[in-house]
Amino acid sequence: MRRVLLRRGSRLVAVATAASLLALAALGSASAAIQPGGITDEARKMHDLFIIVLIFALVVFALVGGALVYALIRYRRRDDELPPQFHGGTRIEVLMVGIPAIITIALFVISMITLVDIDDDADPDDLTIEVTGFQFSWQFAYNLNDLGLNSDPNAEGTLAIIGTPSAEPVLVMPVDEAVEFVLVSNDVIHSFYVRDFLYKLDLIPGRQNDFTVTARETGDYRAQCAELCGLNHSLMRFTLRVVERAEFDAWIAEQAAKQRGDDAPLSVQAP
Amino acid sequence: MASVAIPQLSGYRRPAVLDWIMTVDHKKLGILYLYFTLFFFAVGGILALLVRTQLSVADSTFVGNDAYNQIFTMHASAMLFLFIIPVWAGFGNYFVPLQIGAADMAFPRINALSFWLLPPAGILMFSGFLVDGGSANAGWTAYSPLAQQAGVGMDMWIVAVFMLGASSTIGAANFLVTMFRMRAPGMTMFRMPIFCWTMLVTALLQLLATPVLAAALAMLFIDRNYGGSFFDPNGGGNVVLWQNVFWFYSHPAVYIMILPGMGIVSEILPVFSRKPLFGYKAFVFATIAIGALGFSVWAHHMFTTGSVLLPFFGFMTFMIGIPTGVKIFNWLGTLWGGSISFTTPMLFALGFVSMFLIGGINGTFSAAVPVDFALHDTYFVVAHIHYVLFGGSVFAVFAGLYYWFPKIWGRMLDERLGRLHFTFMFIGFNLAFFPMHMLGLDGMPRRIAVYSEDAGWETLNMISTLGAFTIAVSMIPFLIAVVWAFMRPQDQPDNPWEGNTLEWATSSPPPEHNFDSLPPVRSERPLFDARQNGDGH
Repeated sequence: MRRVLLRRGSRLVAVATAASLLALAALGSASAAIQPGGITDEARKMHDLFIIVLIFALVVFALVGGALVYALIRYRRRDDELPPQFHGGTRIEVLMVGIPAIITIALFVISMITLVDIDDDADPDDLTIEVTGFQFSWQFAYNLNDLGLNSDPNAEGTLAIIGTPSAEPVLVMPVDEAVEFVLVSNDVIHSFYVRDFLYKLDLIPGRQNDFTVTARETGDYRAQCAELCGLNHSLMRFTLRVVERAEFDAWIAEQAAKQRGDDAPLSVQAP
Repeated sequence: MASVAIPQLSGYRRPAVLDWIMTVDHKKLGILYLYFTLFFFAVGGILALLVRTQLSVADSTFVGNDAYNQIFTMHASAMLFLFIIPVWAGFGNYFVPLQIGAADMAFPRINALSFWLLPPAGILMFSGFLVDGGSANAGWTAYSPLAQQAGVGMDMWIVAVFMLGASSTIGAANFLVTMFRMRAPGMTMFRMPIFCWTMLVTALLQLLATPVLAAALAMLFIDRNYGGSFFDPNGGGNVVLWQNVFWFYSHPAVYIMILPGMGIVSEILPVFSRKPLFGYKAFVFATIAIGALGFSVWAHHMFTTGSVLLPFFGFMTFMIGIPTGVKIFNWLGTLWGGSISFTTPMLFALGFVSMFLIGGINGTFSAAVPVDFALHDTYFVVAHIHYVLFGGSVFAVFAGLYYWFPKIWGRMLDERLGRLHFTFMFIGFNLAFFPMHMLGLDGMPRRIAVYSEDAGWETLNMISTLGAFTIAVSMIPFLIAVVWAFMRPQDQPDNPWEGNTLEWATSSPPPEHNFDSLPPVRSERPLFDARQNGDGH
C-alpha cells in the first residue's frame, strides 16, 4: 500500500514538473506579448520583476490547480464506504505555513531589490518637465534654463504645452538621458500613466510628486490619466514623444520662437 | 392567587406582512436579508451589464460620460455595500444561532434594527439617480477632492453608507455576543462550526473598522456642506488623508466580504468529501491572522500616491498571502482522500476554490510594489477584485444558497438546473474577467467611459462583455429552480446532504424556537458523531 502511494506520489510530482516546465516554455515565448517590455531603464527592470512574479504565479497555479484536478478525479465518490477521517497533522500543517511563507518572503525580497534599483534621485542638471494635470487635460512646462544637456543657464522663461480633451497634447522628451518629471495638480487627483514606462504616479493637490526615467527608445507612445478625475476622465490623454537630443533642441527652439511670437501659451496638437 | 391563566397566543395571527415587518426572529430576518441583498445583486448586475455594453466597442456612445461615472459608481456601491456585506449578515443571521444550538440571536430587537436600516439606506442611495446632478459619481472609493465636486447625490450616498455602517456595527456586536455567550452545552470555541468562526472574525473586523469609515464619511460630509477642510489643502487639510482613512476601513472590508464565503465553502467541502475539514485549527488561526493583518495593508491601494511607506506595506501585503495559502491547503487536504460527490453546492464551492486561487495569485502581482506601479488603476486590478469578490464571494453565496435552501425552505433546488447555472456562470465569469488581465497589462485604465479604436482594446472588451451577458443568462436556470422549488411541497428530508453541524439537527424549516432537543456536542461535527453512534470523532 505504502509503495503504491509512493509510486502515485512520484508520478504526481513528474506530471506537475512537466506541467510547470511546459508553462515556463510557453511563457518564455509569450512574455513580450503578456506585458510590453517598457522603453526606459526603470521599466525594463520592472518588467523583469514582472516576469519573475509571473513565473512564480504560473508554477503555483500549475501545482495547486493540478493537485486540485487530480484530487477531484482520483477521489470522486465511488461507493458508500466512509473514507479515512483524517483531521490533519503537525508536520503537514508546518508545511502549509512554511511553503507560502517562503514564496511570499522570496517575492518580497526580490521586489524590494527592484524598488531600490529604480529609485535613483535626479541629478539637478537633468532636464525637468513640470506636468500639471487639470480637468481634463495636461500642461507640460519646460524651464528654458533647465533643459538638461545643452542647457543655457542664462535663458529665461518657460515653455508650456497645454492640451484640451479634443486637442491632446504631446509631451516631448529626449532619449538616452535622465529626465525628471515633477507632477502637480490644482483641482483633483490625476495620475500620470505612460503604459510603456510601466509606471504611474499620482498628481495630488497640495503635494508635489516627482520621478526620474531614462528612455531608451524613440517613438510615439500613448498615455492617459489613470485616476478617475470626473466627467471627461477617459479623454484626458496625451502622446509621449521620445526623440533624439538634436531633434529635442530644435523642437524647443521652434516652440520658444513661436511662443515669443504670439505671446500666448501654446497648444500643440497631436499629429 | 392560586393560579394565573397565561394568555394563549396560539390562536392569534398577525397579517403576514405585519408579521414580516415586526419579526425579531433571526430566521425571518435572515430571509429578509437574503431577499434584500439578492435584489440589489440583480440591480448591481444590471448596472454591470450597462457598463459592459458601453465598453464593448471603441468610442462607444451608448451612455454618456456623466451617466457612465454614475453607473459604475453605483454598480460597485450596490454590490459591495448592499449585496456582499449584508448577504453574509443574512446567512449569519439564519445560521449562526442554528449552528451553535441557540434559540435566537443575543439581541433580537437590535437584530431587527440592523436589518431595517438597510432598505432606507438602499432607497436613499439609489434616489440619487432622481436628483439634480445624478447619483454619486466619484467611484465607490469617493476620493476627495473629486467627491467634493459631485452633486447632492453624493451626500445621499454618504448618508446611506453611514447608515449601512451603523447596521454593520450593531450587527457585528450582536454576532459576537451571540457566539461568545449562547453556544450549546459542550460546544467549546474550537468545536464551533467553521462558518461561525469566519463570522466571528468578520464581526470583529466590522466592529473595529466600520467606525473609522463613519468618521471619514462624517468628515467628507462636513467638507462638502459646512466648509470644512479635512481633505482640502487650501484650508490646511490633506488630500491623501481621505485615502488613508477610507482604506483603513475598506481593506479590512475586503475580508469582511470574503471571510464568511470561505466559511461557507469550508462547511460544504467536508460534507461532500465525507471527511472533516483538514486542519480545522490551522484554518481558524489563519482566519484570525487574515483579520489581524488586514489592518496593516490598507496603503497597498495607495502605492502610486508617492506618500506611502512602500517597503512596510509591501511586506505586510505579502505576509497576508501566508494565511491565505494555508486555507488553500485546508481545502485541498479536505478533498484529498475523500469521497467526493459533485452536487450543485459542491460545484459552486469548488468554483470558489479554483477562482479564489487565481484571485490570490494575481493579487501577488500588485503586492510586488514595482509591478503595481504598472498595474495599479488598470483593468488588471479590476480582474483581481472580481476573481476575489465574484469568483470568490459570489460563488460562495450560491454555494450557500444551494446548500442551505432545503434547510431554510424545506425544498431542494433542482440539481440539473443547478448544474446548468454553475456551468454558465463559471464559463461566463472567466470570459468576462480573464481578458481584463490582458487589458490591464496593455495599459487600459479602469473607470474610463471610452477608449479609442487605435488603443487595440476592442476584441478583449467584446469578449468580456459577452462573458458578462453569459453570467446574466446563467441566472435564468437559477430563477426557474427557485420558482419550481416553491411550487413543490415541503417534503424533503431534514438533512438531505448528511450535514454534520447542528443546523441539520432540527426540522427543515426549523420551528420558531429552533430545537426541540440537541444532540451532545463532542466535536465540531456533532451529527457525524451521532451517525457513528457517538464515537465518530
